[in-house]
Amino acid sequence: MRKAIEVKDFSFRYRNASSSTLKRISFAVDKGSFFCIIGANGAGKSTLCNALVGLIPHYFVGRSKGLVQIEGVDVAKTTIAELSKTIGLVFQNPFNQLSYTAGTVAEELAFGLGNYGVPREVMHEKVLQVARLMHVEELLDKNPLDLSGGQVQRVAFGSAFIMEPSILVLDECTAQLDPLGSEEIFNIVKDLNSSGVTVVMVDHDMERVAQYADQVMVMRKGKVAALGTPREVFTNPRTPDWGIDVPDYVKLGRGLQSAGFDLDELPIDESHAVQTVRGLL
Amino acid sequence: MKIVVEHLRHAYPNGYCALQDVNLTFEGSQPVALIGQNGAGKTTLAKHLNGILRPTSGRILIDGVDVATAQTAQWARKVGYIFQNPDDQLFLDSVRKEFEFGPHQLGVSDEEIEHRTTRIAELVGLEKKLDSHPFDLSPTEKKFCAIGSVLMMNTGALVFDEPTCGQDKIGNDRLAAIISRLKDQGKLCIAISHDMKFVTRNFPRVVLMRKGQVLLAGSREEVFARQEILQKAYVAPPPITRVAQEVGMAKPVFTVEAFTEVIRQAGQKGKERG
Repeated sequence: MRKAIEVKDFSFRYRNASSSTLKRISFAVDKGSFFCIIGANGAGKSTLCNALVGLIPHYFVGRSKGLVQIEGVDVAKTTIAELSKTIGLVFQNPFNQLSYTAGTVAEELAFGLGNYGVPREVMHEKVLQVARLMHVEELLDKNPLDLSGGQVQRVAFGSAFIMEPSILVLDECTAQLDPLGSEEIFNIVKDLNSSGVTVVMVDHDMERVAQYADQVMVMRKGKVAALGTPREVFTNPRTPDWGIDVPDYVKLGRGLQSAGFDLDELPIDESHAVQTVRGLL
Repeated sequence: MKIVVEHLRHAYPNGYCALQDVNLTFEGSQPVALIGQNGAGKTTLAKHLNGILRPTSGRILIDGVDVATAQTAQWARKVGYIFQNPDDQLFLDSVRKEFEFGPHQLGVSDEEIEHRTTRIAELVGLEKKLDSHPFDLSPTEKKFCAIGSVLMMNTGALVFDEPTCGQDKIGNDRLAAIISRLKDQGKLCIAISHDMKFVTRNFPRVVLMRKGQVLLAGSREEVFARQEILQKAYVAPPPITRVAQEVGMAKPVFTVEAFTEVIRQAGQKGKERG
């Protein structure tokens, strides 16, 4: 079995909603790949994330059709607890991730492990390890609710990552962090991905998406508008119709082309753009 | 509108000194961006500009008057503050009520309030949501509701704390349009932002902060030319500017048009020499 995620003809309508948030979505994510989901706000990206980790249909009430499979397991036929051994979600709003039962950051990080009956010593060691990685070791004794937005985001990320899921879903997980903070988190995500973890990431930073993604899926009004490599998606002339901004490097390439410069291909990332421009000078 | 910050120092009750001897002048209607890492003191500084926070020492002058001489509610008539998190700001049960609250407190006539509501709802894109409960809005709409309710006060200056956080292209385009409109009306916009694309596109003036101090203050061209200082403050220039620097362009470049022009000129010089 090579697919980490398979979604077939999946639709979902929240209870009391006038229309479906997800409409006949189909896609697959290869094991170990870096898969990005982009699209305007309200396109259904967060709802899709909830469907991948089982919050739909097990927590959010509504009507769903079609199939979501995580490593071959039908999400609808298992439990969130069972799924959480395989797939972890870092929420867009980190405050939604907190257990609200933990008195300290250390307890918050240990929460998931505690639910699986992991021995105390192992848990302690893992909490320290993750706290160091996420730069929150000095906050371990603090109350999670006393932290800044950026700090909560690090704790939220740590509490998903500590479970060592083989698939990590990141829903705009760095919105509260400054550029250096996001860079640090992305380096960790990249390392996890290189070590074999499948990453599904929702992000508005198109330069970052172009740099990291193996595959990019564009969502629009609950549907899949496009799916392909970053190059295929970002150089597609239809991108403006999808409500997304292409990376500035692509815009630069197009600007140079319309000024009469002959480019072999449009640059999609920084190093490629630098190389392209050097070729013109 | 002129806001002068003199020898501003701010220590929080726990003793943490968030600002140390900050001296700045905000003047005219050229939008200003405050940039720098988390913890640099941007929000603490911004909250002094209309008296939400008071200096531990030093002073703030708004149009020549020391902020210390009046209550925060008085300064809210002069300088509007839009919080980073709209949930910190919204508290009523409809967008319309949020919009009406501020000017009503200031004693603005009902007729004028209605006039402003129509105009501002359209500007922030909530004309069809005026009777919605703020909790029923999407996160983006909530942010624009918070912006709209402050614009309703018709203040001479506005402070935006991280207006782009979580915005998509449509949201960012709308925000740019709002800032440009306010500038045309002669209002002073000051924004805290981490998004350097957004900063260099919309803010001709930039203040770079680090560890409670101002490292650079000037035009975006001046600030983004100082690569080493930016690096020290962990600020990475936006993509186009970075490519320009990488290929050795002498001056910072922020737009595709400017970039293309430099390349064209370099090409002509090359031909002339050749």
